[in-house]
Amino acid sequence: MYKDSATFIHQNSHDPTVLDKTLKREIKLARNIQLQLLNGKTPVFEGGEVSGSSIPARLIGGDYFDFYPLVNGKIRIVVGDVMGKGIPAAMLMILTRGAFRSAAETTKSPADTLKSMNQALYDDLRTLKSFVTLICADWDPKTYELTYANAGHTLPLYIKGKEKVVEELPRVKGIMVGGLPNQVYHNQTVHLDKQDIIFFYTDGIIEAQNNSSEQYKLHRLIAALLENKQNSVSEIEKNILASIEDFTEGAPQRDDITMVLLKIGEQEAEISSLNSPVMK
Amino acid sequence: MIDFLLKETADENLIVLFNGDLDIDSTEVVEEELLPAIENYKLVNINFENVPFVDSSGMGLLLTIVQSLKAKGVKVTISQVNEDVQFIFEMLQIPEILGEDTFI
Repeated sequence: MYKDSATFIHQNSHDPTVLDKTLKREIKLARNIQLQLLNGKTPVFEGGEVSGSSIPARLIGGDYFDFYPLVNGKIRIVVGDVMGKGIPAAMLMILTRGAFRSAAETTKSPADTLKSMNQALYDDLRTLKSFVTLICADWDPKTYELTYANAGHTLPLYIKGKEKVVEELPRVKGIMVGGLPNQVYHNQTVHLDKQDIIFFYTDGIIEAQNNSSEQYKLHRLIAALLENKQNSVSEIEKNILASIEDFTEGAPQRDDITMVLLKIGEQEAEISSLNSPVMK
Repeated sequence: MIDFLLKETADENLIVLFNGDLDIDSTEVVEEELLPAIENYKLVNINFENVPFVDSSGMGLLLTIVQSLKAKGVKVTISQVNEDVQFIFEMLQIPEILGEDTFI
């Protein structure tokens, strides 16, 4: 702001209660920006459904998820966890979102997207002593193939619709974005069947703690997923969150909680009428 | 939050004994107390035996410690990492980022 000798500071701005009020207002506005960016449009497509949600441990968080409909009819999904918490992590989350959106537009595969994001973000993240773990995946409703690449993120869970089985997607290595320069990432592909579910998440879920400092852990998550696998993605999401809340008994959490679900529909998509995904 | 003890060895190297969670609340301890105290040694070993949990901020702090000491010509090694923490190190490929010879 321009100041000269005629400028004076209103006395109230030295008052701690005024500063406190200003800070609270700004955090609230920042939180609204983040919530609106995170809870944007969800793609609607034939032969399946997706949904995502994120709950920050503090007022504002560093987890990130996004969907990007590609012109070839595929849907690109990304889930990420920025190092740290609170406002600094939230600022870097916005940076990550920008890098994903522009990379998704111009890259052919999840591995290329991660490579491009690392190239775009590496210098800034090193300067800021931070990093982001990311998993990026393309769902192809025509071929039923899920192709994914990983940058140090927790592997998604694969819930088989016709069996009582939950397993991690096959491992694919890759260094977190901001870890090392000029990284090349690798694609891995799995073929999904009707009613199969892919559960992308951040470690805040399995590390959620109750008042006795016990963690929610993977086995509770798997049990809750098996119990809910016949439901729609939004119901599964709601019930998983309820299961975590029951377990944590309202204890304050150390990390943000984020999940994204992809569920393959019962009905096969008609190839002849297959439209590109629409954001709604 | 992390606490630490420093032990000088007979050959004038240093052992850092970490105690507690390496997490976001450790930021000031690491950056303002630990780093200035250890940057003038030739060889620093960080012992993780009493570190049960490392969050993403802690992982960032570890990268900062090792990379800033290396930039000052200090050789850093990390030892006695417990199984849970090692699992996270492996998932994030920390040995590849810091150099496989950092872990002993």
